[in-house]
Amino acid sequence: MSLVIKNLQRVVPIRRVPLRRKMDIVRGILGVKNFDLGIICVDNKSIQHINRIYRKKNVPTDVLSFPFHENLKAGDFPRPASSDDYNLGDVFLGVEYIFQQCKENEDYYDILTVTATHGLCHLLGFTHNSEAEWQKMYNQEKLVLEELNRYTGARLQPLSRGLY
Amino acid sequence: MLSLLRCVPRALGAAATGFRAAAPASPLPQLLQPALRPCLRPFGLLSVRAGSARRSDLLKPPAPCSCGCGALHTEGDKAFVEFLTDEIKEEKKIQKHKSLPKMSGNWELEVNGTEAKLSRKVAGEKITVTFNINNSIPPTFGGGEEEPSQDQKTEEQEPELTSTPNFVVEVTKSDGKKTLVLDCHYPEDEFGNEEDSDIFSIKEVSFQATGDSEWRDTNYTLNTDSLDWALYDHLMDFLEDRGVDNNFADELVELSTALEHQEYITFLEDLKGFVKSQ
Repeated sequence: MSLVIKNLQRVVPIRRVPLRRKMDIVRGILGVKNFDLGIICVDNKSIQHINRIYRKKNVPTDVLSFPFHENLKAGDFPRPASSDDYNLGDVFLGVEYIFQQCKENEDYYDILTVTATHGLCHLLGFTHNSEAEWQKMYNQEKLVLEELNRYTGARLQPLSRGLY
Repeated sequence: MLSLLRCVPRALGAAATGFRAAAPASPLPQLLQPALRPCLRPFGLLSVRAGSARRSDLLKPPAPCSCGCGALHTEGDKAFVEFLTDEIKEEKKIQKHKSLPKMSGNWELEVNGTEAKLSRKVAGEKITVTFNINNSIPPTFGGGEEEPSQDQKTEEQEPELTSTPNFVVEVTKSDGKKTLVLDCHYPEDEFGNEEDSDIFSIKEVSFQATGDSEWRDTNYTLNTDSLDWALYDHLMDFLEDRGVDNNFADELVELSTALEHQEYITFLEDLKGFVKSQ
């Protein structure tokens, strides 16, 4: 199944191939390569608009996830009832926000990957509303990124690091 | 005052047909009866003189203008010219760009009527982007569930028309043998919903012989509708490297809209001159 990348903004130039390459590895590590996934790159104005509508927070943010399987528990695997259900949902990346937050010594595409991985974990039911939930999510992200680091030679750390 | 001609599809054909439909009817039967006494006047004049008191003005054929130019100037033409004068004035008032906006990225622009060509050289490669502003304004549809309230309707202006033409990108390498041709489109959704679409997409890709003005159907054309997404992303990154990115696509809309508006005003002026024909 497909990873679809869309770029709806013109503020930050986005190269799709490097992002796809890394997210394909992440999908493989998580065992969800046979599910459709959408990664949509948007600017501050758009992500703020979405944040306001769906989370009542009128500020831009780095990532918003819209799961297809809404009641998935952390660590559970989606159980598709039909071929239409081979879909994880969409991850909206606030690429302008991420770019603004990116430090000088950080690689932008590494941060995009870490953020998209965090978003993908949300699609799989992981949350960080409590310390216990956060611990599960942090462990999952760490597992995935350590494996990714082995492939790519990078030293990526989970986005949820330091949340609790 | 609203520019009425800009609010609806430009049905000049229908208007012209409607105008042409106001032709005079055939003469009334009684006029064909022979005169009671011999008359030296031509039959046509006799019939006019005999029937003019009974003929409605509607049936009178439009007479040539007394200005002596020999053309046909009807009341309808006069009203048309007056309408066009107002329309041109309004269109010029709302014209966003008096001259064509410049594209960032050292693109050279050539305009030939409704066709525009942008070109640049990047490290020995020649890149051209060609588009035509004819039929480049998608129809705007009213919302279903979200009809504006009466107050909103009176306050809101008519939606701005934007020109989103298909554009063709041609890339020729320094050896110049083949040109890679990518046909790109802006998203089109019948409900006007373009929220989740890329700013532009590549629809077809093919190779054409460099300098060949004729499109060869026998060259393989890749259609991206069912293309592998990874390959599609490579093509998009390829264009991005050559300056055809989302920023370019947005600026091209500005340029195309300005050119289209310019051509529209010129057309209205030509139309006014033609109808006036003095």
